[in-house]
Amino acid sequence: MRILQDFARSLRQLPRVSMVAVGVFVTLGVLAPYIAPHDPNAQDLLAAHAGISWEHWLGADHLGRDTLSRLIVSARTSLVGMCLVLLIALSVGITIGTIAGYKRGWVEEVLMRIVDVGLAMPSLIVALAVIGIFGTGYWNMIFALALAWWPGSARISRAVAVGVMNRPHIETLRVLGASPLRVYFHHLLPTTIGAVLVYATADAGAVALSIATLSFLGLGIQPPTPEWGQMLVDALPYLETVPMQVILPGLVLTAVVIGFNLLGESIALNRVPTPLSRRILASRRMLASNWTRAQQ
Amino acid sequence: MRTLISIRLRNAAVLLVLATMLCFTLVVSAPGNVAVLIAELRSPKATFEQIRAVEEELGLNDPLVVRYGNWLGSALKGDLGVSYKTGESIGPALAGRLHVTGILVAGGAIFAMILSFTLGFIGALMPGSIGDATTRIIALLGASMPSFFVGALLIYGLAVELRLLPTFGSAGLSSWIMPWMTIGLLPAAVLSRVVRVGLEEAMARPFALTASAKGLSRGRIIFRHALPNIAPTYINALGAQGGAMVVGAVVVEPLFALKGVADLFLQGVLFRDFMVVQACLLVFLTSFIILNLLVDIGMMFSDPKLRRQGANA
Repeated sequence: MRILQDFARSLRQLPRVSMVAVGVFVTLGVLAPYIAPHDPNAQDLLAAHAGISWEHWLGADHLGRDTLSRLIVSARTSLVGMCLVLLIALSVGITIGTIAGYKRGWVEEVLMRIVDVGLAMPSLIVALAVIGIFGTGYWNMIFALALAWWPGSARISRAVAVGVMNRPHIETLRVLGASPLRVYFHHLLPTTIGAVLVYATADAGAVALSIATLSFLGLGIQPPTPEWGQMLVDALPYLETVPMQVILPGLVLTAVVIGFNLLGESIALNRVPTPLSRRILASRRMLASNWTRAQQ
Repeated sequence: MRTLISIRLRNAAVLLVLATMLCFTLVVSAPGNVAVLIAELRSPKATFEQIRAVEEELGLNDPLVVRYGNWLGSALKGDLGVSYKTGESIGPALAGRLHVTGILVAGGAIFAMILSFTLGFIGALMPGSIGDATTRIIALLGASMPSFFVGALLIYGLAVELRLLPTFGSAGLSSWIMPWMTIGLLPAAVLSRVVRVGLEEAMARPFALTASAKGLSRGRIIFRHALPNIAPTYINALGAQGGAMVVGAVVVEPLFALKGVADLFLQGVLFRDFMVVQACLLVFLTSFIILNLLVDIGMMFSDPKLRRQGANA
């Protein structure tokens, strides 16, 4: 709970444009089925290539499916995919990063060399190669992207974990007789997760872009599930007659990615005022000192 | 200097070996039996004996190390195996496509360099002007727009509405302009930031003040004194963006119907043609490694500090 509170507090201090874009994206993603005015997959061939009207606010595609509804439901597809990819990538990355940061020595050396090799390869090429071997499909796409993304989070969490381990209170805990597992799970892991989560929000834009790119290439989200990249490629043959159907999904996707990129930039420039970890650490330190006093 | 280059060469060689191992393990770990696939390609109703024969023929029963050695040996000779889908050998097919991707990436890089210097100079010379604001917006858009959207917008604007350029095909220079712009926009956006920030930092340093106190013109200070300072950073960023452009080719080639390596890679991925995926991956990884090597050497030539380090090493 504390982690979530700190996370929310630091989000509030970020640039407004990006918060609006990301906020709208997340809201649409969560509430998509309730907001969408039409069934995104209901075909109405008589309304194919319809322009802007009361019935279809943003027109309809080549099968007469309502574009606005498809755009909204795509936000959910994108959001769910993004969260799954980040969840898997972060779990693997944080586990490996914190183990490397905790153990140091040759364990760290071996793990970080593996991470280096992973980082050296462009994520889209890795994802494509994995899909090429294991076939197309939703879960294959998720795992392929997660495989491409974990080295980044592993490196960040190692850096954070090393910083935490070097702080005096960890030494104190050891002296007081805290077991390695206690240090790892109670003190190292929560702090690292909090800090790495902030970096993950910055990475989210690139993940959304990759999902759209894979879907554009026909390797990601499979029809009939609506997705922006796939909507764009579906409308591409009719570019001369109904350009709006190509431009709309592209614009929405661009807006979302801009939102996440601005967020990432402000994080990279260190505009997040207090590191999340500090507050958690302070409470841990207080606990430790209280405990010492109780022991005496 | 020479020792430093030889160290880099050795590192690149190690990476290359790792890359080949990775390509090999990727195909070995693929689910399903390759021999069944090939046997069924030859005769629709393959018997158990036929599958056994194919297994023996491909050497699938040999130990992994022997298989890796055999594969590497033939790959070095340019024999990258046979496509499961079409049955033609991949080596020649790949060689015939290399120049398309090469022209695409090289042209995109030149476009990106021209655009990034233009935008970067406008931003650094006239901070706070409308030109500066425009360049920042272009830089942000370039970094956030998916390349397939950029390509679609270009096709719509330049080919459909204005009828200036052909939509696809490879008829001379005019058909290359849109692919180059599409693939070069993102690198241009990143590189323009490098130029802008680098120039601003260099102009704020004491040597720029000294130069202007001595009476040098602003243009001369920028071109003669500030520009060489950003060269190492720029070359480094250009190398990274070159890698990104190879990835971008995966999107740009199908969009403009270009028959390059990335297109072949994509076909291989779509039809789960392991051998094609493996061969293309090998080509990509090799090109990344060579690119990194060139960047390292280029940085050494452009940065006197690195050069001196190399002399002492």
